Amino acid sequence: MTPRIVVTGAGVISPLGAGIEAFADALWSGKSAVAPSTRFPGSTIAEFGDFNPTPWLGNKGVRVLDRGTRFLCVAAQMALYSTGLLQDAASDGDPGLGLVCGTMFGGVHSIAMFDWSGLVEGPSMVSPMEFPNTVINAPAGQAAIKHKLRGVNSTICAGLASGLHAIQYAADFLRFGRARHLMAGGMEEVCDEAALGFSKLGIASPTGCVRPFGMDRDGAAAGEGSALWMLETEETAEAGSMPPWFEVCGFGTANDASPEGAEAAIQQALEETAIGPGEIGCIIASANGSRADALESRALRCVFGHHLETIPVSAPKAAIGEAMGASGAFCAVTAGLALQRQQAPPTAGFIATDSGLRLSSEPQPFQGEYALINAFSCDGNNAALVIRRWKS
Amino acid sequence: MKRVVVTGIGVISPVGTGKSAFWTALLAGKSGIGPVTAFDSTNYAAHIGGEVRDFDSTCHVRQQRPEQMGRASQMAIGAARLAIEDSAIALDSILRRRIGVSMGTTSGEPLFVEHYNDALKQSGDDAVDPQWMALYPCHVIPTHVAMEFNLHGPSIMIPTACAAGNYAIGYAYDLIRTGRADVMLAGGADAFSRIPYMGFARLGAIAPERCQPFDKNRKGMVPGEGSGMLVLEPLDAAVGRGAHVYAEVLGYGVSCDAHHMTAAHPQADGAIRAMTAAMKDSGVGTGDIDYISAHGTGTPTNDRIESLAVRTLFGERAPKVPMSSIKSMLGHTMGAASAIEAAACALALDTGWIPPTINHEEPDPECGLDIVPNQARQTNPRIVLNNAYAFGGNNASLCLGRYA
Repeated sequence: MTPRIVVTGAGVISPLGAGIEAFADALWSGKSAVAPSTRFPGSTIAEFGDFNPTPWLGNKGVRVLDRGTRFLCVAAQMALYSTGLLQDAASDGDPGLGLVCGTMFGGVHSIAMFDWSGLVEGPSMVSPMEFPNTVINAPAGQAAIKHKLRGVNSTICAGLASGLHAIQYAADFLRFGRARHLMAGGMEEVCDEAALGFSKLGIASPTGCVRPFGMDRDGAAAGEGSALWMLETEETAEAGSMPPWFEVCGFGTANDASPEGAEAAIQQALEETAIGPGEIGCIIASANGSRADALESRALRCVFGHHLETIPVSAPKAAIGEAMGASGAFCAVTAGLALQRQQAPPTAGFIATDSGLRLSSEPQPFQGEYALINAFSCDGNNAALVIRRWKS
Repeated sequence: MKRVVVTGIGVISPVGTGKSAFWTALLAGKSGIGPVTAFDSTNYAAHIGGEVRDFDSTCHVRQQRPEQMGRASQMAIGAARLAIEDSAIALDSILRRRIGVSMGTTSGEPLFVEHYNDALKQSGDDAVDPQWMALYPCHVIPTHVAMEFNLHGPSIMIPTACAAGNYAIGYAYDLIRTGRADVMLAGGADAFSRIPYMGFARLGAIAPERCQPFDKNRKGMVPGEGSGMLVLEPLDAAVGRGAHVYAEVLGYGVSCDAHHMTAAHPQADGAIRAMTAAMKDSGVGTGDIDYISAHGTGTPTNDRIESLAVRTLFGERAPKVPMSSIKSMLGHTMGAASAIEAAACALALDTGWIPPTINHEEPDPECGLDIVPNQARQTNPRIVLNNAYAFGGNNASLCLGRYA
């Protein structure tokens, strides 16, 4: 019998605030963090602003960590603290405790700065201290050192679906007994390279109003931060007296940029959970305000049909922007909170949609036990995950 | 749980393209290392590399335009195409949603970071390629492979640096044995880039002339590039279609040192735990291991720590287990390395021959293992272990067995 995978804690550092409570309060009050950037003049971004990690991490060894790594280390600190698994700095660290980090750009700023330094000052002038940050797994590796995470330490890249893939990867590792406690989710920073890429690709909203599924939507805004769940099996949760928050059920993925890709991912997630579409209580959508939102609404209509009349849909990227490799994890945390509150959060700034989906600028109550989380990329990287309110 | 086997091998490497050229070169002890040509190395502290010199992307990339993707994607497609052809699998006979791609890399498509900076330096923001964000993030590598062969199953990049190939093959193995996929293309790819080269040169980690893993006078590693891809499928499906089975994936294990970003744990803690986990996962013990494909980069510390790990774990038997490093011939192909080494392991199980560690002159008593010096050897191994260690303390060992 495959063990059931449960979530017993979380760590969130987002443009809506530090900590899961701040995230939830802002999201449910309909606030949006999408605003003119203080760091990149002329851009509209959901950013954390000046980020000082020392209240969480202290001063030691923080200077060499790039912004994204600091986000990840702080989210990990919160997840460890909330589950009583924070490692004693003097201890050896638990070899069953690990981290699976989804990301899209990783530490691209560190990589580009390292190369820039070689280009401008010459290859012999680059800093050997900065070199370790130029591997894509550097944030996860640095977090492992910081928090003594000796178990599985993987970095997962699958575009905008990275966060959900990381959660699934971690859940599988726990199912196979390859680890005891795994933090899983995503991390992304908006740096020069990501901000420029976002605007050059033509997906950034020129008006700065992010309206997922909106009739007048004109683009997305880049977002950043880190969100992690603490995952474990039902058995270890009981043994460790951490009450499960909810259960990680079926996962679906399809690498397919055609409209059928998203649909296949949702179908597979429902099949793996062994439920019908009518049993889903709420849907946390991937929509970010870009044209691609139409692919998601089409997929939802194909899978859910008339059920969409009663299932509330929420698009948190209206509030937190498109946090790329972290966005799936932010949506997952949102879904967990929605199950706990039996309310789908408002979609910030929502006015009107022609998608046929039940969106609202107010919280929407629902009855069901299950929530669906979508993470779709227009390059074909699609994933969907179903979670369930905990019932032993 | 299903048994998972390797039925196709595709390699793009500094010693040759394709399984046969690759294997013939390895058994002959041929080196693929030479002067760096990818960029002008005049101002660098080192000048040699393991570059792929015979790669023509237009031969391999047929459904997409090779100039619209990076070199790592091109090589990954090349290795995948070779692996698919080698396996003689009829992809059309399998549901596209049941065929996936699992890959590893160290740097992804670093040439786009180079282009980004070159453009920025020359003419500022405006000169940066508008497609930069669509071309660079490393998940595009498996995505390009999936698009080339029209594969709609799970597609994932696990960029755990120089151990990434083993992570990717391991996850593909998990997906198949649990029935989440019917066929997986699994491996790794990395393109030669000034970025890692600059870093390794600055650390003084690059050997001046040649790569001599486990030699007393070893002077460092040699950065390389390439791609290795395997076709993995369930044993029953492979037997059913009459496929040639190179090897069975028995299991794998991963661990994290949580000690230092670049230096291995002094007591080899993570390396020992990864090997132990791989053997446990595979249901074998140290007495069953007939050959170890070493991570063996050729740096003084790494080879010493890896030897310590093997001696600690294998005890008295350690010097009797042949362990070689093909990085002596290829250089360190980064995220592709453990995938290419897994291909070599599968070929060792299939042919009975194990490749040598070349450039060996003087044994290092601190290593003290049988490194198969300079000459390939016929030992008919049954079970082999493939070690890989990476920046970030990410360790992974893969266990393969002969299928008979």
